[in-house]
Amino acid sequence: MLTLLIRPMAGISAMLNALGKRVYYGRDMIRALAEPGTWWVEFIRQMRAIGVESVPLTVIVAAFLGGVTAFQTRYQLFAGVQVSVVGLIVRQSIVLELGPLLTALVLTGRVGARMTAEIGTMRVTEQIDALETLAYDPIAFLAVPRVLAALVMLPTLTMLANVAAITSAWLTLILATDVRTNDFVDGLRLSFNMFQVIYSLIKAVCFGFAISFVCSYQGYVTESGAEGVGKSTAIAVVIASVCILLFDAVVAAILAPFIQA
Amino acid sequence: MAVKVKKRRDEVVVGALLVVTLVLGLGGTLWIARGGLSRGYAMFAKFPWGAGLKQGQPVLLAGVNIGFVSDVQLVPDGTLLVNMTIKRNYKIPINSTATVEANGIFGDQLIAVTPVRATTEFLPERDTIPTGVSAPGIPDLLAKGDSIAKNVNLLTANLRSEFVDSGGIKQIRGAINDMTRLLTQITTVVTTQSRELTTTQEQVRTLLASVDEGKIDSTLTNVRAASANLEKMSRGLDSTRLQVNALIDKVNNGKGSISLLLNDPTLHTKLVGVSAQLDSLIADIKKNPRKYINLKIF
Repeated sequence: MLTLLIRPMAGISAMLNALGKRVYYGRDMIRALAEPGTWWVEFIRQMRAIGVESVPLTVIVAAFLGGVTAFQTRYQLFAGVQVSVVGLIVRQSIVLELGPLLTALVLTGRVGARMTAEIGTMRVTEQIDALETLAYDPIAFLAVPRVLAALVMLPTLTMLANVAAITSAWLTLILATDVRTNDFVDGLRLSFNMFQVIYSLIKAVCFGFAISFVCSYQGYVTESGAEGVGKSTAIAVVIASVCILLFDAVVAAILAPFIQA
Repeated sequence: MAVKVKKRRDEVVVGALLVVTLVLGLGGTLWIARGGLSRGYAMFAKFPWGAGLKQGQPVLLAGVNIGFVSDVQLVPDGTLLVNMTIKRNYKIPINSTATVEANGIFGDQLIAVTPVRATTEFLPERDTIPTGVSAPGIPDLLAKGDSIAKNVNLLTANLRSEFVDSGGIKQIRGAINDMTRLLTQITTVVTTQSRELTTTQEQVRTLLASVDEGKIDSTLTNVRAASANLEKMSRGLDSTRLQVNALIDKVNNGKGSISLLLNDPTLHTKLVGVSAQLDSLIADIKKNPRKYINLKIF
């Protein structure tokens, strides 16, 4: 009987333990914000690595996303529905959901995995221990720049993705369907509310935090050499993806009533 | 040195990305929300509360997009003061009215400026456009639909009360059953009559078939002869009629003794007088025969 209770209790205890460690990690990051001299240079470098180098991938994904969404939407309209509805549906689906979500999921693989691998490799090669020896706060040097860069660059990339997707949707519609520019623009402007863009950026900030926090933490606690780095990377990507979806649901539940004009 | 150069390059590139994104994002958002980035001039209009207007909605002049709503203020007197930004290359004719119209089927609104006729006079900048009566929007149509639905419900309730609860449908069914029975009876009668008619037709055919053609011919000849005699008689009667008419004409026109007799009242009066005298003579003879008859025998 006692054995039956021990396993679930051990599982719950392990979850709480993991959560506690992450809370301490977060606390250390907040403390490390007080050392801008340590993280500023790395912050700029990480913004380039996370933001600038991810632009081509982001734009390509967004372009295909926008084109396919527009094309499929047009051919699902039954006779009698005004074609400007395509513009409305494209805008709503890209700005509110697909733009931030797919950008974040794509960047989880590119940016998050890279983050975990970098920090994990530094951990297993004892470079982090060397930083501590040199009186550098490793969290200020490694984690804080990455988290801050992700918080700035994810919304930037999401905005670029939204613009690229909507432009691609427009091009696809005028080249491959009977929808004209006037119809598309009318639909684009229909029931538009500035808050819809802010909503998209709020999601992007939350996703950026999820990716950078989870992936930097997993890299920071990597163990057991090269195998450990690979394992940490895989775990980081999975946990980050799940966190992105959770944040997506939470933000939608809280802010969706304010979206409509 | 190389590190410094790389650091500077990173900063420039990151800065450029942020600027480009800010411009695209902000510019795009304003372009969608405000219908364009060009500046224009202000015009005003007053609508009643509940018009459903908000910033960014389009302004159309005779169907052409000329601007957008830049501000909506709630005035305590029950109106909305709407500030519109109109593109510089459009002017609003002096006889125009502004109304709120539905923009699509998703509840969005627009302001439609409708000129009454073509004119070369225009409203000055920052003027107030007179407002007209708006077409019913989707809420009004829904309200109408609601009232129609209520009436239909009332009608249905009345129909139910009349036809179901008070047995109206049963009576109709009874009437239909009676009609069906009647139709059956009529069908039976028609069938019987049709059968008898067919029998009669057959008998007539048989009869006609048995009739001698020769007899028919002679009958026809006799009929023709009779018809000729009748015609002669008719002619005779005609001439007699003409003579009688002539005689009557003569009598009426006072020609001849009979005419005089018939038309002259003097003779009649005299005859009446003579007849009266004769009557009195006869009466006197009867009363006093010896006065008139003196009979002596020997």
